[in-house]
Formats: sequence, C-alpha cells, structure tokens
Amino acid sequence: MIDVIKLKAKDYKSGIKPIWCPGCGHFSVFNAITKAMAALAISKDDTVMVSGIGCSSRLPAYVDSYGFHGVHGRGLAIAQGLKVARPDLTVLAMGGDGDGFSIGGNHFIHACRRNVNMTYIVMDNEVYGMTKGQASPTTALDWDHSKLTPHGPGVRPFKPAALALASGAPWIARAYSGNPNQMAKLIVEAIEFEGFSFLHVMSQCITFCPEQTDWKAIVHEREEPALVDADEAAKLFLHEDGFQTGLLYSEQRATWPPAAAVAVSEDAVAQLSASFRV
Amino acid sequence: MANKELAEFLAHSVELESEAKERYEELADAMAQHHNDQVAQFFLRMAQEVSHHLAEVSGLAKGMELPQLRAWEFNWPETESPEAASYEALHYRMSLRQAMTLALESERAAESYYRQVADGSDDAETVRIAGQFADEERSHAAELECMLLELPENGANLREDDDEPHMPE
Repeated sequence: MIDVIKLKAKDYKSGIKPIWCPGCGHFSVFNAITKAMAALAISKDDTVMVSGIGCSSRLPAYVDSYGFHGVHGRGLAIAQGLKVARPDLTVLAMGGDGDGFSIGGNHFIHACRRNVNMTYIVMDNEVYGMTKGQASPTTALDWDHSKLTPHGPGVRPFKPAALALASGAPWIARAYSGNPNQMAKLIVEAIEFEGFSFLHVMSQCITFCPEQTDWKAIVHEREEPALVDADEAAKLFLHEDGFQTGLLYSEQRATWPPAAAVAVSEDAVAQLSASFRV
Repeated sequence: MANKELAEFLAHSVELESEAKERYEELADAMAQHHNDQVAQFFLRMAQEVSHHLAEVSGLAKGMELPQLRAWEFNWPETESPEAASYEALHYRMSLRQAMTLALESERAAESYYRQVADGSDDAETVRIAGQFADEERSHAAELECMLLELPENGANLREDDDEPHMPE
C-alpha cells in the first residue's frame, strides 16, 4: 500500500546552501535522507540529526529538522543520550570515516553493542577531506596521495561492516552515493528497524580521491535477502570485495535500555522530583 | 479519467523534470560557493530551461490522479532519473565546455528515455506525448551542440586554482 506523501523531499531542506565540493558524494546522501523523510512523511519537529566534525558532519544544518553539530567523534554519544531521554524522537547520527572510526571509534563499537533504537550513517570517502586530504582508518594501505603518507599509510584499513558486526550491531547495510534512490530506501528501512541500524555509505571525495569515480563501475547490488545469522555475516564481511550494496545483515535483538530499567529510572526520577518538591 | 499507463508515464515525467531542475539548481549553488561563476550561471540557466518543461509536463498532468511513487519505485534505465546530471562528472574547477558537455549528456539521456517509452507503449496518447517530449529534449540537445561549437576547444581543461586543495604538509 502506498501512503499519502504530504511533503516532498525538497521541503525537508533547510535552505542553507551546502559548501561541499561540487561532485561530493555527500550531496547524494543529503538528497537520500530528505527523500527518506518524505517517504516516511516524518515530522520535522520529531526528528533530530546529530553529527560530529568533518565535511559530512555539516549535514544537520542542511536538513529542516532539529540538529546538533557536535564534537569530533562524539555524535553517537550525544545521539544515544538523546534517544534514551526522548524515545519518542527519530534520531539519526551521521559523520565521516575519520569521525566515526578513528576519533569516535570507541563510541562506535559501544553503540553497536548497546543497541539503542537509532540510525547511524557513515559517509565513508576514505579520507580526511576537511583538513585537506589525509589518510583515515578506511584508506587503502598503499594510497600515496598525501604528503603525510607519501608511500601510503601502510596500515590495513578497517572493514566497517565487519567491525560493526563484531561489536554487536544488529542491522548493517551499505549504500553508494551514485545510487541515492536505493540509499533512500535503505534509510527508510534503517529508521523503521527497532534497534541500532548502521548504514555504511561509500561517498566519493571528488577532490582528494578522484579515483573514487571508478566506484560506479565496481559497486553491485546484493540480490539475496539480508543475512540473519552472524556467523554467515562474518564470513561475508571478511571475504567480500566491500562494494556490495543493500541490506546485508539484520537480526532482531533487545534494545537498550531494557523496559525494566526505563520503568525503574522513571520511578527514580519521580522520587527525586518528589524529594525536591516544596 | 486518464488511463493507467499514461498516468504512470506522466508521474515519471514530472519526477524526471523535477529532479533535473533541482540537480541543476544544486550544481549552480555549489559552483557559486566555489567561485566558478561562469559554470554556476550556466547551470542556473539550465535549471530555468528545465523548469519550463516541468511546467508543461505538470500542466498536462493537471487534474489527473498520478501514482504516488517513492524515490526507489520509479523505473529508470539507470540508478537515477535520466536527466539528473551525474555527480561523478563534476569538479569545482570544471570549465564551461565540460559543464555543457555534461548537460548535453543529460539531455540526450532524457531524449533516449522518452523515445524508449514512445517506442515501447501500446497506448496512443502515451506514444504521442512521449514522442513530443523526446523531440523537445532533442531540440534542447541541439541547442547545446550549437553552443559547444562556438566554444574554444582549449576550454576543455580544468580551470586554474590559486589555492590548490593540497596544502604543503
């Protein structure tokens, strides 16, 4: 059944002009997010975008919803706290590969295992773009475009999907900036999922990694249903080429905080309020 | 009451033209942000051209009940609507010639899409309107081809940048 779509994607744009480089994949992610919001007929007043620092972390300013442009790598901490305090809100955290896997790496693995009901979108261009092109945790070990690492970083890059799975993430998908419509569908599914949904987006950096325009010829859409078994998913994530898009893994698990803890904490807050009542 | 095939086609046409207009506007803004004013002006002009076509398409669809499709429910030949200029071909230093070439590819892709619909439909009204749209896109493409002929060939290289993105490290 098709719902009545009240607002169009462009109605979810704030009107602030993005300063990303023309051709940046983040434009595509921005468009996919607004398309997903339109498809869900989501309320702007009940939606919050939270980010860290970096090119991609500018995105909350461009969406006409509540937003928080946070501290480097700490977007997830803020977003989880917000969702726990206000479970009625739709919370999306977002950022880049440096923000999410390096500076915010610890927050990322604990967010995966904690499983708060929210969505995390990482726009991975394998480079620190805002600081003019240094190697990030997902940069290929022989990428020699930066004068800081003239022979390449020499370190094996993270496999974000494998990292998320090993840390306990129950919903893992991958999208590509060259396919914003598929990405919009995945964002809808991520928001609808009851738990922590991790969307890894290959988002090209046209300025510092022009070779990423080749991704278009390499990416391939997953045709099989999402895996529901973590062992099978582990095999996939360790051995795949990393260019498969779609919903890769989905397994329902109990979210945090558990209902009993929420009841206790609400009671504790009520008691605390009562103790201060004049 | 319009037939289902025509309504489906017009829903796609409205989306195609809307996406093309919004993409050109987005590119114009992005180029202006990066001080490539000549290309920004060109993309803005393309957005205005497309908006005329969008108004025509929307006018034809007025009063009809079009299917409300989500972004991923449209049936496009590629991953995006045909006339939306590809992000992969963009660069903040792109020349006017490169921008025009990109726009020409988009117009040709739109023409090809409309022509395929016209050739593949059994509905006379859909065939007629899709053929008309294809001719209009062909006409836009021909204008761009003429403009490209008037541009010097040496405009094909990336523009100079006084502040290269790679700072000394």
